[in-house]
Amino acid sequence: MITELRQRLLALQQTSGIEGPGTLSLGVPALDTVLGGGLVHGALHEIAARGEAHVPAAVGFALGVIASSCPALCRAFKEDVDGRDKPDHVRRTVLWVAEDMALAESGAPHGAGIDDFGLASERLVMVTTAHRRDLLWAMEEALHCRAVSVVIGEMRAGGIDGVAVRRLSLAAADSGALALLLRATPSSDASTAATRWIVGAAPSMTRHSPSAPRFAVHLGRNRYGPVGSWILEWSDSDERFILATHAQPMAAPALYRSHRQVA
Amino acid sequence: MLNLWLRRLSTDRIARSRKLSAPLVVTGKCGNAEVLTAVDDASERLGLAPGLALAQARAMHPGIDTVPEDAEADATLLESIADWCLRYTPLVACDAPDGLVLDISGCAHLYGGERELVVDLGGRLENAGFAYSLAIAGTIGAAWAAAHYGEPASYACGEELTMLAPLPLSALRLPPVTVVGLARVGLKRIGDIADQPRAPLTARFGAEVLRQLDRALGHEHEPLTPRLPVAPYVAEQRFAEPIAREEDVLTITARLARQLQFALERRGDGARRIELTLFRTDGVVRRIAAGTSRPLRDPDDIRALFVERLAVFADALDPGFGFDMARLSVIVAEPFPPEQIGIGGGENAAELCRLVDRLSARLGSRRVRRLVAQDSHIPELAETVLPAQVVNGDAGWNAFRQYRKEAKLPPRPLRLLARPEPIRAVAEVPDGPPLRFRWRRALHEVIAAEGPERIEGAWWSEHGGPARDYFRVEDKSGLRFWLFRAGLYRDLAQGAATPSWFLHGTFA
Repeated sequence: MITELRQRLLALQQTSGIEGPGTLSLGVPALDTVLGGGLVHGALHEIAARGEAHVPAAVGFALGVIASSCPALCRAFKEDVDGRDKPDHVRRTVLWVAEDMALAESGAPHGAGIDDFGLASERLVMVTTAHRRDLLWAMEEALHCRAVSVVIGEMRAGGIDGVAVRRLSLAAADSGALALLLRATPSSDASTAATRWIVGAAPSMTRHSPSAPRFAVHLGRNRYGPVGSWILEWSDSDERFILATHAQPMAAPALYRSHRQVA
Repeated sequence: MLNLWLRRLSTDRIARSRKLSAPLVVTGKCGNAEVLTAVDDASERLGLAPGLALAQARAMHPGIDTVPEDAEADATLLESIADWCLRYTPLVACDAPDGLVLDISGCAHLYGGERELVVDLGGRLENAGFAYSLAIAGTIGAAWAAAHYGEPASYACGEELTMLAPLPLSALRLPPVTVVGLARVGLKRIGDIADQPRAPLTARFGAEVLRQLDRALGHEHEPLTPRLPVAPYVAEQRFAEPIAREEDVLTITARLARQLQFALERRGDGARRIELTLFRTDGVVRRIAAGTSRPLRDPDDIRALFVERLAVFADALDPGFGFDMARLSVIVAEPFPPEQIGIGGGENAAELCRLVDRLSARLGSRRVRRLVAQDSHIPELAETVLPAQVVNGDAGWNAFRQYRKEAKLPPRPLRLLARPEPIRAVAEVPDGPPLRFRWRRALHEVIAAEGPERIEGAWWSEHGGPARDYFRVEDKSGLRFWLFRAGLYRDLAQGAATPSWFLHGTFA
């Protein structure tokens, strides 16, 4: 009887996602190790720009994460391999909820630019909200939907209700979807996010023309392991992140140094 | 046909909003003179009538209460009464400025017959404080004549001619000039012209006279133009006790949706736009509409839509003393695609539609959108956003990718500003990229630049604008921008404006 109960308990744990949530590899071994295999599925992750000006970099990093971890959302994804069973459980939609003010400040997402990151723009549903309350509501609704694989919530500076963040985390854990909260500036408020990132733009390798996008990434909180800072480059040709370990050609303060105040 | 004439619409409107102590007249300008446009019962008993000059009326009765006319308020009131009349029939037309036409054929039995319907309608109007006169007849024209000139509450079904014969000719809705002309030759009543030879009448007074007569007698069809489009599917319910709670409204909605489901299934349709009409006991009508992204039949889905719609209203639903009738109508219906059970993706697609519908219902369909690639080379026109409820398929992105591959399009920015923002830029050579520029009060030193990518303006249009040279630049801290110079220096000689710099977007 006890074994029977144990089995039932195990089944319950598995369905509720308490046991070992799935991870999505980012394709960068150094990052994946720190994250314990990759970015955790079914959890809320917070990505903050280093400052207002770095919002596009934060958005780019978020799109890169999505493109490298959810192949079903990429434009290169083939509909039905061999014309056989198209898996019914493949979620193929990104829902991007943004505040009106965020869009007015940094411009609306441009489909052709999203395409540059390997993502299929037709998989994107844009939602704009006038209030933060609506933003959180829309994110939560989307997380409850089985067809949505990634929910991006983009907001400007300002606090966020701790209860709402907790609700989002729970909703994400419940559905297994990836929830990304994009913030215009880093914040120090308590949060139940699984990881918190601070992302800024990093100068290109070459001097004469802008090369592939580069990101100065700082992992400021990680529930599953240590934190750290990296310079990542988005490789257009193979559509994934690569670690830019090369020495900087210029004496630019690219690396995030925790002891030094970054502008 | 039921014609309802609100004889004292303007004065009743004022009398409903405040207490009257003196006979009321409504005045308006006619040319340069102030004249009475409407009078109430009390002032009519004093001998005042519309058309009388205000000065004269004042001289006769200094105590009268005058109010300037407000045609717009009258029209709004008439429309809200028309909405309220939807409880009797979906076919309600406004007969401006103070009448309504209701097509009650096939609806009267719901009230137990035409007489009962008239009693119900009249009782409610009286309670609301409106003076009215109504008539039921086989045609719009006959009903109009009877309501305006006949006995109060007259019925003529089949014997229009008998009823119309003693009425004056102005009951035929003829212009006053024609009526005067006919009176001059001794024709004063409808009966007088009904058996006259037709040709001389037409020759002398025009075709209008006989056409109106034919319309009143039913020899010629007169179309009724309903104020609101008639819904193809309607389900409604009256309540013995008014309901006020939101949950009750939702329960009723689901019940009505279930009734509609059978009708929709029978004809193989699904709803694309649904409207819930709530009739408040005091005559106010609330209409709440919700759109869907695919033909819908399921009562639970329909209920879920209205949960969101009602959540927006919150307190504004304002049930007052409660609603005594609810109607659910499908305004737009579309053929329901054949059910695909177990075939890949179907379930997920339905889930997504459900989500889009709920978000649209709550936030408005203009806030839930998809990106659509457009056929244009000008960046701000190259794509647009459309409500997700109307966008299907790949929204032009496959074609865009094909084009991008063939044209070897340079990278595009991740965020595009709503409109290019002017910047102050300094360039090393006139046609080259900028060395530094100032955007939103911050100075950016350019360390790397790529370009130009020349994008011609729409030269075929007057408002096409100049050609643009786009540059991808990177500043010292690694921020990447998409700048352009509008206009070319080589065109300066031909009198073009000095080129100016703009920032159009940002890269990751």
